[in-house]
Amino acid sequence: MTQPTAPCPNCGAQVVFRWSSSVQTVCEYCKSILVRTDVDLKKVGEVADLPPDSSPIQIGTEGSYNHKAFTAIGRIIYEYEQGNWNEWHLMLNDGTSGWLSDAQDEYAISFAAPGRKLPDQCRVGDRFVWDNEGYEVTTITKAHYRGVQGELPFQYWDKTDVIFADLRSLTGKFATIDYSDEQPALYLGEMVEFDALGLKNLRTFEGWS
Amino acid sequence: MSAGGRTPPGKPQTRALNCPGCGAALTVRSFNNAVTIVCDSCHSILDAKDPNLQILQQFKAATDKDRPHIPLGTRGKIRGTDYEVIGFERRTIHVEGVAYSWHEYVLFNPFKGFRYLTEYDGHWNDCSTLKALPDVVSFSSPPKVKYLGETYKHFQTARASTSFVLGEFPWQVRVGESVEVSDYVSPPRVLSSEQTGNEVTWSMGEYMLGRDVWKAFRLPGSPPEAKGVYENQPSPMSGEVKSIWLTFAFLLLALVVLMIGFDLSAQNKDVFTGYYKYDSNQRGEASFVTDDFEVKGHTSNVELKTTTDLNNRWIYLNYALINETTGQAFDFGREVSYYHGYDSDGSWSEGSANDAVAVPGVPPGRYYLRVEPEGDPGHGMTYYTVTVKRDVPQYSFYAIALGALLLPAILLSWRALSFEHLRWAESDHPMISTSGGDE
Amino acid sequence: MMRILYMLYGAAVLVGLSIAQYQGWSLARVNEVKNVPRSVRDNPGSYRSVYSSYHHYTGGK
Repeated sequence: MTQPTAPCPNCGAQVVFRWSSSVQTVCEYCKSILVRTDVDLKKVGEVADLPPDSSPIQIGTEGSYNHKAFTAIGRIIYEYEQGNWNEWHLMLNDGTSGWLSDAQDEYAISFAAPGRKLPDQCRVGDRFVWDNEGYEVTTITKAHYRGVQGELPFQYWDKTDVIFADLRSLTGKFATIDYSDEQPALYLGEMVEFDALGLKNLRTFEGWS
Repeated sequence: MSAGGRTPPGKPQTRALNCPGCGAALTVRSFNNAVTIVCDSCHSILDAKDPNLQILQQFKAATDKDRPHIPLGTRGKIRGTDYEVIGFERRTIHVEGVAYSWHEYVLFNPFKGFRYLTEYDGHWNDCSTLKALPDVVSFSSPPKVKYLGETYKHFQTARASTSFVLGEFPWQVRVGESVEVSDYVSPPRVLSSEQTGNEVTWSMGEYMLGRDVWKAFRLPGSPPEAKGVYENQPSPMSGEVKSIWLTFAFLLLALVVLMIGFDLSAQNKDVFTGYYKYDSNQRGEASFVTDDFEVKGHTSNVELKTTTDLNNRWIYLNYALINETTGQAFDFGREVSYYHGYDSDGSWSEGSANDAVAVPGVPPGRYYLRVEPEGDPGHGMTYYTVTVKRDVPQYSFYAIALGALLLPAILLSWRALSFEHLRWAESDHPMISTSGGDE
Repeated sequence: MMRILYMLYGAAVLVGLSIAQYQGWSLARVNEVKNVPRSVRDNPGSYRSVYSSYHHYTGGK
């Protein structure tokens, strides 16, 4: 994960480097010193690494939201200039589908909200009111698909960049305007705490309970 | 096309270091800024041109510029959850030509996500991003924001650029990139907004003591000492000031009650009055004794009042209050003088024609006065009255007590104010000081 | 904590104040003399204030 591991070239045991760009470690078993040769030393001190895919959710993870149980059945990984995030496709027990976005372990649940008038483009700071709640655009992201997994409600799979506008409200509600189609699509939802979702069947991480 | 963001690193590629001479284990040592590799068995030193050695040296040079207090890879418990330090950053702002830098540590838990620790001059903050947006209070100067029922005052806005970065960050961080940062404080908390063209992120920090950081991460040694007052550092006296003034109000009430009580219970009775005249021209013994009089009640004071008809003259009276039975006496002298006139500024006067003195601790009994007047020959006749009053309230003591009660409250308020002064001195809105500012 | 200390201090001030008021202390500079003879009543001139203003010798040659 964040502490890269590799087999010791001498004895084959797993060795751990303390952090992502750390170049030196000692094999606990054969005591040989190992030096990493794949670290771009020019970048050390100048550019940060991105953590590897760290979403604790996986296909088959179960949880509940608003007293409805759901299962994660699909996933889209989006990549943008600063990194990436996951959109997990949820199937709720009433048959509807929703989205659980996982961006650096910040979670938000949202549902498609059709039938609103949306602008062709917007900027950071723009304000809207939907369902009596005030939203303000906090982020405009240009992203593209990096990967897909499982079942998704639509078919296409395009590598060109699309625009997303993220909006937040004063009460922790969350919205996204998705500009990937000709018609912009609105998703309304809220930010959620990891603990509130009661997730089961999560991915396991070595070294973490 | 894929953007400039890096894809996460793949499996590490490694090479083992073995002594080229004897194949035994090698030790890595650092001297000053150099790294050498020495063989413990045959003591040969690895060739400086060895690519492994070069990797280690370059790495040391790159990372030595700023060593994190909490080494990357360390795990610690914050708010009951284990986190691992995965990234470290130094950010710099420039205020009036001076560079200020602080450090940020990225903490990670695969389930709970990310937290951040910031450190500046020994002051630490435990931060996380906000889920909801704070409410900007309109028409406030300096600006304020409200979040979860608390109002935060604007402290500083500055352009922060990254000057050093190690490890992993959940977003791409590069040396040289800058964002506009605004801090709003409500000690011990702070709200920070970071803005680039496309994005506004809010986070909240809570002040943390260095020693709690050391405890959480089980770090050796002691934390660096906190210098000065930090923007959201809680004041050690904040709650105390209010409670002390409340206590003062209560004590003041008690003081007033005591004053009324003593006033009502004091005898304040005239026990003797005598009318006399003094001719300063007259030769012979000027001293005389009065009739005796009774002084009653518990040991208390006796007020002796001298009322004269002095007009631009003085008189000096040697008094002795003598107990007829015990022979105990209270001996004192009073100068009474009164001058007045008229000059270019108007009328003026100096002194008083009357005088009063309180003789302390006079036990009850039968007393008489021995009086010896003195004066300037040529002054002529002075008529004066001597009145003796028993058990008179001394108001000066109430004034002293009031001062004594006020002193700690004023001192504490002043200390609390100085602390706040220091806090805001570094901000965009320093407090106005009566002694004149730095600028 | 501060509050309690201040309370105690305030109480001490008020107690001191009460003692001063009750015992009739004053700030005046008054000398106490003992054993003034009866004869002063008949001969006031024989009383000399100087008797009461003797200085306590506090040491040194």
